[in-house]
Amino acid sequence: MFASAKDWLGGGLVASQSQPVLVPAGQAGSAIALEDVSLRVGAPEGEVEILRGASLRVAAGEFVCLLGPSGSGKSTILNLVAGLARPTSGRVLEGERPVSGPGPDRAVVFQDAALFPWLTLRNNIEFPLKLQGLKAGARAHRSEELLRLVHLWRFQDRYPHELSGGMRQRGAIARALAANPAVLLMDEPFAALDAQTREILQGEVERIWSATRKTVIFVTHNVREAVRLADRVVLMGTRPGRILHEETIDLPRPRAATDERVSVLASGIALRIASEVEKVVREEADDAWVAPGAHGGGDPRRHLGRGI
Amino acid sequence: MAILVAIWAAASEIARTPLAPGPIEVGRALLGGVRDGTLVRALVTSAVRLSIGYVVALALGVPLGTGLARSRFVKQSLGPVVLGLSSVPSICWLPLAILWFGLSEWAIQLVVVLGAALPVAVATENAVKHVPPSIEQAARTMGARGARLMLTVTLPAALPGILGGAKVGWTFALRSLMAGELLFVSGGLGQLLETGRDLGDTALVLAVVVVIVALGRASEVLLFARADRAIARRWGVEGA
Repeated sequence: MFASAKDWLGGGLVASQSQPVLVPAGQAGSAIALEDVSLRVGAPEGEVEILRGASLRVAAGEFVCLLGPSGSGKSTILNLVAGLARPTSGRVLEGERPVSGPGPDRAVVFQDAALFPWLTLRNNIEFPLKLQGLKAGARAHRSEELLRLVHLWRFQDRYPHELSGGMRQRGAIARALAANPAVLLMDEPFAALDAQTREILQGEVERIWSATRKTVIFVTHNVREAVRLADRVVLMGTRPGRILHEETIDLPRPRAATDERVSVLASGIALRIASEVEKVVREEADDAWVAPGAHGGGDPRRHLGRGI
Repeated sequence: MAILVAIWAAASEIARTPLAPGPIEVGRALLGGVRDGTLVRALVTSAVRLSIGYVVALALGVPLGTGLARSRFVKQSLGPVVLGLSSVPSICWLPLAILWFGLSEWAIQLVVVLGAALPVAVATENAVKHVPPSIEQAARTMGARGARLMLTVTLPAALPGILGGAKVGWTFALRSLMAGELLFVSGGLGQLLETGRDLGDTALVLAVVVVIVALGRASEVLLFARADRAIARRWGVEGA
């Protein structure tokens, strides 16, 4: 009995020093590869190229951020890895195996959290466990562990609408971790949150990732967020969506929100993609508007997509 | 409410005609109908018909609406039919129903079911179409598929809208039933209305109307108020 519960945790419990909570170590991550992946939609008439020739390798247990303005295909890559979309050409691999559809080995955290409104937080977290046929006792055990991991134990019986935006995202992260996935896909999970909450949750994500060693692909249009979290930042461009450039972030962890080195790296990257952003702005604006800051030192705190 | 009854009493006093009975006469007719059992029998007959027809209408309307929202084949083949039929008052089917089934329960049920199922189907179609895509995507990434996805995620997510359709369906079922019973002599409240007219008994006619109003309100409270509260608690909004 005890042994099987331990197997389920996949390696027992790890207590981190800064946090006195028990963290489920879980199954370690698996590698993801995209091989010359393209996606076109709307054929035959009015075909739009969403993503062109994207190749990317994500090592097992690596934290990769996809960074780019809206329309750069970063969420598309996430959907392709999740199996929610299929490439027009090219291959998406998890380990050695081609991705053929969605599955519980690749969990997704959505921008709107996507918690089920008719279930309490606890039942939301137990939902994927129910799908896997887990008994009530094992489900309760696992959901308690996860609720404590994201500091929402006291709120287990609340419905999603009774939680703040930040709490909903933490709940969504707990639900995504519930079925013990090898890969965690996060689609601008903090884009709708205020700056303070976002920084706190970034710290939480780094802590959870350090404890679980999942492979994480994290989509964002916030340069600072990408630099703070990632082992490697993948810069993406628009029209068509494509991968421009990769940047390894070689800073020690855990990284503080106020870390000067994060700011320095972030402004460098912001400069580099300023021209891409300007391209989007030019196409979306109805006159020859020039993005302020596109020439001469971008502000790393500035958002690059949404809202421009 | 009390003021309205007082105005009614005063008005019938002034009019002093058997065509406008006051609340006391109507109350007496109600009591008489309960005592000799005619009103009770009619109420039970109608309530049983209503329940059966309504349950059948839900059982047909919800799957039909889901199919319309999700299957191109169903939408293209049945969509125009459903739209066309839902603009026809269901009582128009009574003559055809009588030709098919004779003066039987089947004929009247056909009218009730047709009247209620279509608004339920239309509301369900809308509700299912408006389920946020991320809700279903989230469920799919957890491994939910097919019928299980539909039953454990899509339909619960669409529940507020489906409940709205179920309420409209209930009203339509009641209306169709009353119209059917008025035209079709076989017990029930509608027929009692017709009896009241034959006897020139205005008080009885109004007493039956009171019972129909009570039936409508009671079903609202018993069936839907609780569901509305549950929806409000979970979604944080009133049901549609």
